[in-house]
Amino acid sequence: MMRTLIADDEPPARDKLVRWLGEHADVQLVSVACDGISAAEAIGQLQPQIAFLDIQMPGLNGLEIAAQLETSTAPLLVFVTAFDEHAVKAFDLNAVDYLLKPYDKERLAKALARVRTRLDSGENRATAVQIARRQTNCGDRLLVPAGEQLQLIEVQGIEWLEADDNYVHVHSRARTYLLRRTLTDLLAQLGEQRFVRIHKSIAVNLSEIQSLTPLFKGDFEVHLRGGHTLRLSRRYKDAVFARIGR
Amino acid sequence: MAVEASVPARSLSASPTTARAASLVNDRAIYLLWAVFWAFMTVVEIQDHFYNQYVRWWEPLLWQVTSAIPTTLWLIAQRRQQRYAGYLERPLLWFVHHLKWLPLACITTICFMYIARHSAYVLVDRQYHHEPWLFVVVYETLKLVLFASLWLGVAFAFSSFEQWLLERQRLAKLQQSFAEAQLSQLKSQLRPHFLFNALNTISALMHSDVSRADHLLAQLSELLRSTLRLGDQQLISLHEELHVLGLYAQIMHERFSDRVSLRWDIAPEIHDAQVPALLLQPLLENAFKHGVEKSREPVQVEIAGHQADGSLHLVVRNTGLLTHDASSGVGLRNGRERLRLLFGEAARLELQQDGGWVTAHVVMPLNSPLHGPAA
Repeated sequence: MMRTLIADDEPPARDKLVRWLGEHADVQLVSVACDGISAAEAIGQLQPQIAFLDIQMPGLNGLEIAAQLETSTAPLLVFVTAFDEHAVKAFDLNAVDYLLKPYDKERLAKALARVRTRLDSGENRATAVQIARRQTNCGDRLLVPAGEQLQLIEVQGIEWLEADDNYVHVHSRARTYLLRRTLTDLLAQLGEQRFVRIHKSIAVNLSEIQSLTPLFKGDFEVHLRGGHTLRLSRRYKDAVFARIGR
Repeated sequence: MAVEASVPARSLSASPTTARAASLVNDRAIYLLWAVFWAFMTVVEIQDHFYNQYVRWWEPLLWQVTSAIPTTLWLIAQRRQQRYAGYLERPLLWFVHHLKWLPLACITTICFMYIARHSAYVLVDRQYHHEPWLFVVVYETLKLVLFASLWLGVAFAFSSFEQWLLERQRLAKLQQSFAEAQLSQLKSQLRPHFLFNALNTISALMHSDVSRADHLLAQLSELLRSTLRLGDQQLISLHEELHVLGLYAQIMHERFSDRVSLRWDIAPEIHDAQVPALLLQPLLENAFKHGVEKSREPVQVEIAGHQADGSLHLVVRNTGLLTHDASSGVGLRNGRERLRLLFGEAARLELQQDGGWVTAHVVMPLNSPLHGPAA
């Protein structure tokens, strides 16, 4: 069985996909979302294998959802759109699955067939997420869990990121969020310009660095504008100095 | 006040630059004519006294120049000050308004003429002999009234011609902007997003409710057909406009049925009012595009119309917050331009945040526009 999620904000479009997927015995619908945020929540909680994401949705659109997913654990994505010339061009170039509305049963069956092959071959899903990141401003806003729900926070308000096994602590002035992501993939999403690694497990927002104080053996102390002090490992010293122009 | 209503007509000139260019060419022509007139008068005067031994050759010249200077100043004042241009469509009023300056013009001109002549004669140590003052005043006044009437006629002809040219340009522009509105309307209906999503909705309904799918298909066709059928009608009845609007609204309602509620509140007495064709649809499209499609919460959309103080008020509004994108669209700009060309300052289109609502408000005169579309 393929655990499948659908996200579309238009009821008739949703109904159509639900009905037609129901005709495929190996498809198990685990969630039907009406907007981007709840789709992202459901993907995080239910870990579906396949997600059909409508591109036009309020709050967070299909591409924006995809851009916020951890590359290695993301479901196989099938984008659904009535018309998005730009995105479709990118999909074509990189063989990302998509459905154009209105589609017929044959076209849906074909998309499912491709998804099956990809699932069986354990193919890398990174492409769809990376395409989505390139198509959106995913470096400006980050989707974080706040209590039961997900919410978008401004990336410029983040002080530093701290890896902790498969999680990342996102420290902002106001509070800390725990994200089930790897630091490397998160940095890939947010773009390398804004953050710099000062330690194997820590990356700092460049604009938050106030001063550096030397310690023994070439290590430094990093003082942040918010008052926190972190340690700069000498392994990353050169890279950090290059970035802050010293 | 009825007279004043036609005054804005002048400010409606196609564009300030073309208007200025047109009146410059006009002014040049009238000044040339004026110069020829005075040259002719002077030649006649000189020739008249040519064999008169008591009159020196320069005297007729002086008399003509001293008459030409003040009258030329008055002509320039007339050409510069276009405050009565709005009355060009009512020639009688136009003349009355100009002629009320005539007494002042006569007094100043006669005073200037005789002061200048006496001074000039004193300078060459001679004395200026002329008829008794009473005769002079009556004679010169009669002459001035005669020439002023003649030249006002000429000025009227020039100004009317100028206005006719501008009016033609304005109408051409009106036609063009309407054609643009129609084209952008067509484009927005054929806008891939709208059309493909509508088709997908029909495709979905076909499997659950065939007759509803059929109905929606008919509505989509009727919407496309209506836009084509409007042809080049500038103005249609509000009733027709609302019909097209309703088709669009129903299709959108079918797509977003779970989070949009529509309300129509049109006063029955305004159904026959004439409105610019396809003016409201971009406003409703905005309400859906920026209000409904971008919102996770249910959105209310209202279309309302009533009359007040001789004006037609039409409102399309949706719950939510006004965004920059919503207030900078082509539809809004085109709508404003068409209202301006049709009704001048008497109409306006405003988009604003109004409590919890984003409100598009159109106000236009209830009776037909100042300048009807070209036949």
